[in-house]
Amino acid sequence: MRRTLLILGIALAANTAQAQLPFLTKRPAQPVIQGIDALRADFAAQSGGTTVYFGAESVILGAPAKNVLSAQAAWLRRHPEVVVRVEGYGDGGDTRDHALAIGARRAEETRDYLVLLGVPSAQLSTTSWGKERPGLGRAVTILIR
Amino acid sequence: MKRLPLILLLVGLGTAAHAQQPSGTVIAVPPLTSPDSGSKGNQMLAVGLDISQLIASDLRQTAELVPLPTKREDYYSYPEVTAPSLYKWRTAHAKTLLMGFVQSRSDGRLTVGCYVYDVDKGRELARKGVVIGPNDWRRAAHKCSGLAYSAVTGTPGIFDTRIAYVAESGVGDGRTKRIAVMDSDGYSHRYVTAGDTTVLTPRLAPKGSQLAFVSYAGGQPNVRLLDLDSGKDRSLIQSNTISFAPRFSPDGSRIAFSMMNGPNSDIYVVGAAGGAAQRLTTSPGVDTDPSFSPDGSKIVFESDRGGSQQLYTMNADGTGQRRLTFGNGWYGTPEWSPDGQWIAFTRRGQDGRRIGIVKADGTGERLLTTGPGDEGPSWAPSSHEILFQRVGANGRSGLYRITLDGGEPRAMTIPSDGSDPDWSGVMD
Repeated sequence: MRRTLLILGIALAANTAQAQLPFLTKRPAQPVIQGIDALRADFAAQSGGTTVYFGAESVILGAPAKNVLSAQAAWLRRHPEVVVRVEGYGDGGDTRDHALAIGARRAEETRDYLVLLGVPSAQLSTTSWGKERPGLGRAVTILIR
Repeated sequence: MKRLPLILLLVGLGTAAHAQQPSGTVIAVPPLTSPDSGSKGNQMLAVGLDISQLIASDLRQTAELVPLPTKREDYYSYPEVTAPSLYKWRTAHAKTLLMGFVQSRSDGRLTVGCYVYDVDKGRELARKGVVIGPNDWRRAAHKCSGLAYSAVTGTPGIFDTRIAYVAESGVGDGRTKRIAVMDSDGYSHRYVTAGDTTVLTPRLAPKGSQLAFVSYAGGQPNVRLLDLDSGKDRSLIQSNTISFAPRFSPDGSRIAFSMMNGPNSDIYVVGAAGGAAQRLTTSPGVDTDPSFSPDGSKIVFESDRGGSQQLYTMNADGTGQRRLTFGNGWYGTPEWSPDGQWIAFTRRGQDGRRIGIVKADGTGERLLTTGPGDEGPSWAPSSHEILFQRVGANGRSGLYRITLDGGEPRAMTIPSDGSDPDWSGVMD
């Protein structure tokens, strides 16, 4: 937790510096991506996907999910101006509120992992769709807003 | 309605000795008469016929009473209301008789009187008089239906009650959800949210004037409180964390709900008028779906603290938490019955989701429905019947009613697909 805060602090300091000294923003050799659709496409392409999957009733991130999240975290650190919503989903066979709670837990676990990898928490918000989007059970989607 | 005669037929076959006797108590509901004369009298008789037909329709929805068809030719005179000729109804195999009158008042309103008789014993069981506005005859009919129902069964009727649910239309991502409120007979149906935002789990206040629900208006699910008379709504609590699963206390003064605490879902309680929320559970994992006991002293809820989702009870201040169910499968969505005896639940297992009940002490568990797509039981005020949501094989969701005696669930007629039903207490 202490490490997270430290990283977060550095990230915030970097942000502040960039905000105050506009010429610094030219330094990263990032291509400028215009428009939310292009941003989303680049994020998905470079991260290996926007969705990570969980086991039945599970809120634990497996190795494949962590790989995707590592790539996502790297992308998000390169794009501190981008805010994303971590959207959790429950199982369609579950009851309404339990699915909502499980989706929220999955979203929180995913958000915490991204923060652990150095993504400033200010870039991240969470929500849960429970079983409201039937196609996407047992998953978390990271949506650029 | 098409299904009911079939059930009666099957019941009849099972008990050959009573081949003509349906399972409920047969009640005759001849058209209400009037002491008025002339054109006013004819007007009142027309209203009386409407009321009697609605009473018969109300009672036909119950498992306990079987009304004979209301026929215009069964007219009787005003003095007969308090001195009925019972022979005719005995030969019609009626056990109970509901008579009454409609009288116009000088102020333009109407007096409606209803009398319930035991046909065999020739004894009056109950009577009630109500004064109503000229267009409120439905309300008077529901009151008379309740009178007959409680006279026969000894428990409160469900006729002057409301149902809230989520009306669903469209498919896939274009699916819209709106909260609808209606009388329990399906009339006075209206939508109370616009359909531009996903909404879930409407829960009526006991007196029916307020509604707690979950809205995605802020991007994440949050409990909101809607005043049904003014149409104004507000957040239940000032917080930017996910909150859901609201339920009123029986006196309407408090609301229990779930709120995320990092990756934990815990149960909180807050005053319906405002104030700070008090946290009642702290265990890791999912604690949700709180429901108060009818005296307000206890709360039943679901928790996966023991490894699988099970029902627990606690005192309303969070003390004395203990596990209630130990069966196979996963137990959720508990609701305490209005008479305090039972807790209804959804059980998830290999056979899908089914509705069941268990006594408040954890014994006597039994399943009422066969599933596999049932959930969200809500008690009728009578504690004899449960309203729930069923997703059929075609993926469409409807509202169904089932009695504790079992039998086939009956579909409620609503304008579209429906989910998350909630049944209010008796209005006053």
